Amino acid sequence: GRSFNASLLSSFNIGITGLCFKKVKTHSLQDLRQPAVSSKVFVQRDYNSGTISKFQTKFPSELESRLDKQQFEETIQTLNNLYAEAEKLGGKSYLEGCLACLTAYTIFLCMETHYEKVLKKISRYIKDQNEKIYAPRGLLLTDPIERGLRVVEITIFEDRSIGSGR
Amino acid sequence: MPGFSSGGVGGGVGVPASAPPRPFRPSRYVPVSAATTFLVGSTSLFFCFTCPWLSEYFSCVIPIYVAVIFLFTLANFSMATFMDPGVFPRAEEDEDKEDDFRAPLYKTVEIKGIQVRMKWCATCRFYRPPRCSHCSVCDNCVEDFDHHCPWVNNCIGRRNYRHFFLFLLSLTTHIMNVFGFGLVYVLHHRQQLDTPHAVVTMVVMCVAGLFFFPVAGLTGFHMVLVARGRTTNEQVTGKFRGGVNPFTNGCTRNISHVLCSSQAPRYVGRSRSPQALDVQPPFLRPPLTEAQLEAKVLDNGIQNDRHSTRSKSSLDPTESQSADAEPPPPPKPELRYPGLPRADTEESSLLTEGPTTPSMYKYRPAFSSPGRNHTALTHPSKMIRGDSLDSPSPSILQSSRQPSYRSEPSSLDGTTVVGGGVGARRGGGDRGEGPGGPGGAAGVIPGGMSGYSLAGRSHTSYPSSLVLSTGGSHSSSLRSALAANNPLSTLQSEGTTDTSYKSLANQTPRNGSLSYDSLLTPSESPEFESAAHELSPQKPRAVFPSAGAAGQREGVSPGSPLQGYTSPFLSAQIAQQREGQLLQGSATFSSPHRAYLRAVSPPPPSASGAPEIQHLLQANHNSSSRGPRNLSSSPGGRSLEPPVSPPPRGLSLGKSQYHVGEAGPQHRPPRASGGGLVVGGGGAGGGQQAAQYPSRPVLANHTPTKSGGGVKKVTGVGGTTYEISV
Repeated sequence: GRSFNASLLSSFNIGITGLCFKKVKTHSLQDLRQPAVSSKVFVQRDYNSGTISKFQTKFPSELESRLDKQQFEETIQTLNNLYAEAEKLGGKSYLEGCLACLTAYTIFLCMETHYEKVLKKISRYIKDQNEKIYAPRGLLLTDPIERGLRVVEITIFEDRSIGSGR
Repeated sequence: MPGFSSGGVGGGVGVPASAPPRPFRPSRYVPVSAATTFLVGSTSLFFCFTCPWLSEYFSCVIPIYVAVIFLFTLANFSMATFMDPGVFPRAEEDEDKEDDFRAPLYKTVEIKGIQVRMKWCATCRFYRPPRCSHCSVCDNCVEDFDHHCPWVNNCIGRRNYRHFFLFLLSLTTHIMNVFGFGLVYVLHHRQQLDTPHAVVTMVVMCVAGLFFFPVAGLTGFHMVLVARGRTTNEQVTGKFRGGVNPFTNGCTRNISHVLCSSQAPRYVGRSRSPQALDVQPPFLRPPLTEAQLEAKVLDNGIQNDRHSTRSKSSLDPTESQSADAEPPPPPKPELRYPGLPRADTEESSLLTEGPTTPSMYKYRPAFSSPGRNHTALTHPSKMIRGDSLDSPSPSILQSSRQPSYRSEPSSLDGTTVVGGGVGARRGGGDRGEGPGGPGGAAGVIPGGMSGYSLAGRSHTSYPSSLVLSTGGSHSSSLRSALAANNPLSTLQSEGTTDTSYKSLANQTPRNGSLSYDSLLTPSESPEFESAAHELSPQKPRAVFPSAGAAGQREGVSPGSPLQGYTSPFLSAQIAQQREGQLLQGSATFSSPHRAYLRAVSPPPPSASGAPEIQHLLQANHNSSSRGPRNLSSSPGGRSLEPPVSPPPRGLSLGKSQYHVGEAGPQHRPPRASGGGLVVGGGGAGGGQQAAQYPSRPVLANHTPTKSGGGVKKVTGVGGTTYEISV
C-alpha cells in the first residue's frame, strides 16, 4: 500500500519533471531573451507643406548598415500617402460631417470616422512591414500615432551574432 | 509613477498619460456651469412659457425649429466641452536621450518657405509641432491650439475647434431666435404684460439680449479667423501681423478644412496593441558599399566628417533663405570623437536640413548615459512595444527619479549636464564620460547651435522673433568677446542669452537624484517643488551653452576638451542660481574640479568683454527684479503657462525689449479674467487666451533671486563633498 503510494508519487514526480524537462528543452535560452535595444531612430515630421501629416523620407544614417535606403523610403512614402488619404477633404468626409451634425454626433457611437479607418489600415501596414522587412533586420517600426504623429520611432536591436555595434 | 498613473499601466490603455492627476479646482467649473445654466434654463423657460402661444398663434413649426437649433447648440457645446482637443501624449524618455543643455530651445522648420520656430516643451518633452501650444490650465500640449475656453472649461484645439465654431454659430442663431420670438410674444401681449408668461418671456429676452453681443462678437471674430486660417493664439500674439501665414490655404480651403475634414484622431487614451513581434538575430544586413567599409574601419574621423559637412552645408541654404541680417554662425569645427550612433534622440533628425544636434552626439560616447542605456539594455520588456511604457522602472537612474511627474526624465537630463563636468568623478552615476568626451564638443555645440537657432529665424512672419534674433546676434557676438574672459564670468553673462537650451527649460525638482544639479542645490529642490512654476525656468542653465562656446572659443586644445565644458558649466549653474552672485561668478570646487578649472582657460584676451558682461549682468538683474512684480500682477496663475517651458532665453538686452513689449498684453489678462464675459470684437476670443501667451515671455525673465553667501556644501553621489562658494 505505502510502497505503492510512494511509487505512484515518485512516478508522478517523474512525470512532472519530465514535463518540465520537456518544456525546458523546447525553449533555448536564446529564445527566452529578446535582443537588447541598441538605439532608437526618430524619423521626424516633414512640415514643408504645412501641418499635414507627413514624415521625412530622409534616410537616417544609423540605419545604413541595417536597411536599404529604398525600402525605408518606400515605407515612409506609403505612410505619407496613407495619412494624406486620411486627411483628404473629400466628399466622403463631408458626408460624414453632415451625417454627424444631423444625428447630433451620436453617429460616432456606432460608426468609425474616416480617419480612424485609415489609421487602422496604417497600423496593419506597419505590422506587415515589421514582419516582412524590419524584424528580420533587427528593426522595429512604431506606429507614429502612439507618439502623437510626431515621429516614427524605429528601434534598432542589438545584433549579438555579429557583435554589438550598429 | 504618478506620471503614468492616470493613463493606466501596462500596455492596455494608451500610456504615457497626457496629463498627470490634477488637483480639483472648483473655480474652474464656475463659468461652464453658469453657461450651461443660462443656456438650458433660459431655453426651458422659453419653451414652457412662450412656445405654447407661438405654436397656437402661428404654427407648431416654430417650436420645432427652435428646438432643433437648441439641440444642435447643445450637441456642439457638449462636444466642445468633453472632447479631447488634440492633446499630445508626453514624449517618452528615449525621445529625448540627448543631453538637454546641448540642445537648443528652439528649432526652426521651414513651412512653405517661411521659417517657423518650434519650441521645446519642458513639460511634454518634445519640440512643439507648429501651431501646437502648451495650455497651462490643462497642462498639456494641444495640437493646433486655439485657446482655452473657460465657458466650456476645455482647450479648443484641432479636434474640437469645429464643434466650438459651430457652437458659436448655433448659439448666436439660438439667441436670435429666442429674442425674436420673445419679442413677437411681447408685442402681441402689450396689454397683458403683468401675466407670468409675459414676465418670464421678458426676462428670457433680457438674458438673451445680454448674451447676444459678446457671443455675436466672438462668432464674428472666429469667422474671420477661419477665413484667414489662423488660430486665436496666433491672432492674439500677433504672429502674422506683418507677414505671411504659412498655414493658410486660401479662404475656401480653410473653411472646408474646418467644417468638412474628417474628425482628427485622439492621441491619448488609445488602446495599444502590443506588438509581440519576435525580433531575433541573425539579422539581415544590406551589402556594404566600399565607402561604408572604409568608414567602418576609420570610424572616428570619417563618420564625423560626413556628419559635420552635411550639417554645415545644409545650414547654408537655410541661412541664406532666412531674411536675417545677422552674421552666419561660426562654422562648427571637426570633432574627433568616435562616431556614435546618432540615433538616440528624436531631435537628431528633426531638422530637415541636417540637424546640428548630431554633432553633439558625436561625443556622446559609448558613454551615453549609463542610466538610459541600462534602461534599454536591462529592460527586455522594452522589446515588446506594448510594454515599452513600463520602461521607467528598474534601472538605477529611474529609481532616482522624482515623484513629480514633470521631472521624470529630466532628473536624468540634469545628470547629463553635470555628467560632462564631473564625469570622471561620478562613479556610479550618470554619464560616466571620460574627460575627453564632452568638453570640446560641448564647446562646439553651443556655438553652432545658437547660431543655427538664430539663423533660422525669419523676420517676415514672426515679428517676435525679431527681438529674439536681435538678442541672439548679440549673444553670438558676445560669446566670442566674452569667451576670452574668465569662463566663469562669461557664464553668468551668457546666462541671459537668447540661445538657451532645453536643459534650462527642463527645470524640475530633484530630490536626492543622481543629478549634479540636485547635488549643487539640494536646498533648492524643495523650492522648486513649492514655488510656482514661474520660478523654475529661471534656473538658468542657459549658461551652459555659452560656457561651452566660451571654452571652445578659447581654442580648446584637443588634449583638454572638457575644460570649456565642465567648469564653466558648473560655475555657471551655481552662479546663476544665486542671483546675487552674478557679479562674482567664481566657484571653487574640491580639488579634482579645481584641477579642471586651472586647466580650463587660457588667459582671457579681450577686455571689451568685461563692460559687456557688466552691462548684461545689470540688465539681468533688472529683468529679474522686475520679475516678481509681474508675477503678482497676473492673477491666480490661471492662465499662466507653467514657466517650466520658457527658460530665460533672451539676452538681457533682448530680454528687456521683450519685457517691455509684453508688458502691455501681460496686463490685459488680469482685467479680463475678472470673470464675466469677455467682450470686444477682435480681442474677445483672444482675451481668454491672451492671458497665457504674453505672460510666457515675461515669466521667462524671472530668475530666482537668491542671496547666498559663504560656502555651500553639496554632497555628491559617491560621498564626495563639494564646497561651492557662493
